[in-house]
Amino acid sequence: MPSIFELRDISYDYDGVPALRELSLDLARGERVALVGANGSGKSTLLRMLDALCFPARGTLSFDAQLISAARLQDDAVALAFRRRVGLVFQNPDVQLFNPTVFDEVAFAPLQLGWPKQKLMAKIEETLQLMGIAHLRERPPYRLSGGEKKRVALASVIVLDPEVLLLDEPTATLDPRSQSQIIDLIQGWKGSSKTVITATHQLEILEDIADRVVVLEEGRVSATGTPAEIMTNRELLLRANLVHAHRHTHGSVTHSHPHMHSHSEHEH
Amino acid sequence: MHIPDGYLSPSTCATLYVGAVAGWYSALRRLKRALFTRVIPLISVFAAFSFVVMMFNLPLPGGTTGHALGVTIAAIVLGPSGAILAISIAVAIQALFFGDGGISTLGANCFNMAIVGSLVAYGTYRLMAMDAGIRSKRRVVAAAVAGYLAINAAALLAAIEFGIQPALFHDAGGTPLYAPYPLSIAVPAMMIGHLTFAGLAEAVIAAGLVAYLQVADPALLLNTSGVSLESGTAGTPTGSVRRLWVAVAVLMLLTPLGILAAGTAWGEWSPATLAQSTPVQSSDPSPVVPAGLVRLSSLWTAPFPAYAPGFVHSRGFGYLLSAMFGVGVLLGLSLATRRLITNRRKGLET
Amino acid sequence: MSRNLLQSTMIGFGRRLTRTMLSEKIAREHGLLQSLDPRVRVVGLLALVLAVTLSRKISVVAALLAIAIVLALSSKVSPVTLAKRVWLIALGFTGVIALPALFVTPGRAIASLGSLSITEQGLRTATLLVLRVETAVTLTTLLMLCTPWAQVLKALRVLHLPKEAVTMLAMSYRYIFLLVETAGQMFESRISRTVGGLPRAEQRRMTTRTAGVLLSKSVALGNDVYLAMESRGFRGDIQVLSDFRMRSLDYVVLLLFLVAAAAAVWMGR
Repeated sequence: MPSIFELRDISYDYDGVPALRELSLDLARGERVALVGANGSGKSTLLRMLDALCFPARGTLSFDAQLISAARLQDDAVALAFRRRVGLVFQNPDVQLFNPTVFDEVAFAPLQLGWPKQKLMAKIEETLQLMGIAHLRERPPYRLSGGEKKRVALASVIVLDPEVLLLDEPTATLDPRSQSQIIDLIQGWKGSSKTVITATHQLEILEDIADRVVVLEEGRVSATGTPAEIMTNRELLLRANLVHAHRHTHGSVTHSHPHMHSHSEHEH
Repeated sequence: MHIPDGYLSPSTCATLYVGAVAGWYSALRRLKRALFTRVIPLISVFAAFSFVVMMFNLPLPGGTTGHALGVTIAAIVLGPSGAILAISIAVAIQALFFGDGGISTLGANCFNMAIVGSLVAYGTYRLMAMDAGIRSKRRVVAAAVAGYLAINAAALLAAIEFGIQPALFHDAGGTPLYAPYPLSIAVPAMMIGHLTFAGLAEAVIAAGLVAYLQVADPALLLNTSGVSLESGTAGTPTGSVRRLWVAVAVLMLLTPLGILAAGTAWGEWSPATLAQSTPVQSSDPSPVVPAGLVRLSSLWTAPFPAYAPGFVHSRGFGYLLSAMFGVGVLLGLSLATRRLITNRRKGLET
Repeated sequence: MSRNLLQSTMIGFGRRLTRTMLSEKIAREHGLLQSLDPRVRVVGLLALVLAVTLSRKISVVAALLAIAIVLALSSKVSPVTLAKRVWLIALGFTGVIALPALFVTPGRAIASLGSLSITEQGLRTATLLVLRVETAVTLTTLLMLCTPWAQVLKALRVLHLPKEAVTMLAMSYRYIFLLVETAGQMFESRISRTVGGLPRAEQRRMTTRTAGVLLSKSVALGNDVYLAMESRGFRGDIQVLSDFRMRSLDYVVLLLFLVAAAAAVWMGR
């Protein structure tokens, strides 16, 4: 399968604190990939790099066989073409919802890309319906629930119908119903031409959202495999800090076994 | 210090709008030359921050509480141009949503608090902190002094704007049409509160925030530290602010000129001059100096006896002198800062 | 003491938030102002505010206040709401400032209270000041009560305010809610950890520390929002949609607003 993203020996750090270390990875077109790893394993940084919001300090990143660099993205035509094809849904919807109303939020990206008005209105309407948020269109973002915010954030990106969708913890801190709505959506893209890359540390949803799982540890890829392969590799999950040993006592026998949690991530 | 609608005459409002627009324009241009697109959200969020901080009840020494404006920390973190825009936005939102300050006086409020406030805060901070280390105690002290001076400079301007109203704008019968108090009352009444609570609150917040950032987030202080910064955090340049200063100076000069042009002798109401010659005389053969005025004016003028010096016979000239003095202090501060910074840079380059 | 102080801050947050919530509720009613093009509302009401400042007669300013009240009634804004939100607050604020003017303004004495005497000029100037403030605040509040914020912003864009300025205004307003909530939670968690009163110096440190955390979060948020904008194609020049349409009623009412404002200025000169 042809790769849409090729990452070679990429390193990146925040003010001296390494986030990615000599990371190499290929992502195939149309693939649904889950990036899993503990907090600080580099998932969010990797997603931002795939969205060309930060650039490798060392190593190379290419998208569709074209090298991505800060210098190339200076060019408006290159940048707009890239933005049209790749969309990122941030973990914190408050970061993403900066417009006065839901409608304006969904309209933001098409407007920046200069779509003609007719196409724009039709596509916005379609997206609002698809995401079940048409009734919220005049609402300001601070009057939305957590699940609604997440759906609006998703809508604001998928309105462009990007080839590559990058999702940062799309189901974290959501109620079960909102969670399953979003999982259904990702499941719906299975077998389509859309590449969907989801960062998560909720292991229980891997089977639903991914064909392949990439495990990150301290800014490196430590394993890849199908969801089933990764889920059954207890040793790997323990080492990557995705599960922790749970000790308890049955009568006089104390034993321990791995225990899965969906940690709710702390934002700061 | 948020002046409501109705306190200032239309011409005062218009003049200060012109001043504010000059400040906004200049700030936008300076930011555009740098990384403006990057700072749009930063300035917006900072405006929101300053708005929220204005709600904080800050316990002050002596059992009182005060509210800070947040202009000083904005000037320290964003630089003067960013601070001008951020505080102006906060002031505009307060006026629109909370009736805190008027619409016709929005220009005046932005000019006093956002523009002059930011410039005084920035100038003082740079001047006092010089090239002290990011974690130096000196920066905390500099922030406190900057906050205190910025608030009081803004309050003094507001007081002058109030105080010139009755002399300039009154009807034939002597009724002041806008703010009714002359400078001799407006200035002390305004300054007492600001020299104590408001100035102190701003000083406490500015110093406290700089001290906090020194430990928790020192990168935010680098922007205006005069120390060069390698890492690419979003920021504004700290170059020349000369054009803004020129705007301030021109405006301050225009204010007393307006008084001269009006050619009115109906000046300040010190009870002595009132008894001698007031236009009220024409409509009322026996003008009465209200006893209350005698009492109040002695109370109010006591802390500021030299504001409009007695030897100056023309009122207009007195205002001109007073305003010039204010401008002189501000400009002197700015120029001294610039000189020091440029010399230091030259020294480093050679 | 500590609890009271912190809670009074918290209550302040809550009250302001609720008021704004209320504002969106009235904006969805079907009244006169709500039915107009937002640009007409913005231009018309601001023209009246300008007229309040320009007219120099008590009777004319009073007439403008009457117009404001009629507008309020026909836009389903109850006088009780106005009294609570606007009139009493403005009266308290400006009343205190205007009161001494009764006595210290030089002029013809018309009544005396002990050794103080009220002058005619003092009475007139105090009345004018209070009336002007009340009328202007009523008009501004009507605009904000009857118009959803998003529409005010769009109307401002049409009035040729720089796009950057309007964008910053919009984003700033939007994040006030987030920061108020964050600050509120920080205060709450600190209250819950505090047993009994704190010394004032400690209270002060706690308040500055809260402000500090809020500042760090604000800057991080600002930088992240930029990335989120960039990710969706923002290249420094904001593109906006304007979809207002003026109907004949809008033109008529706009004309009425402008005529009223001009008449007030002329009669009150």
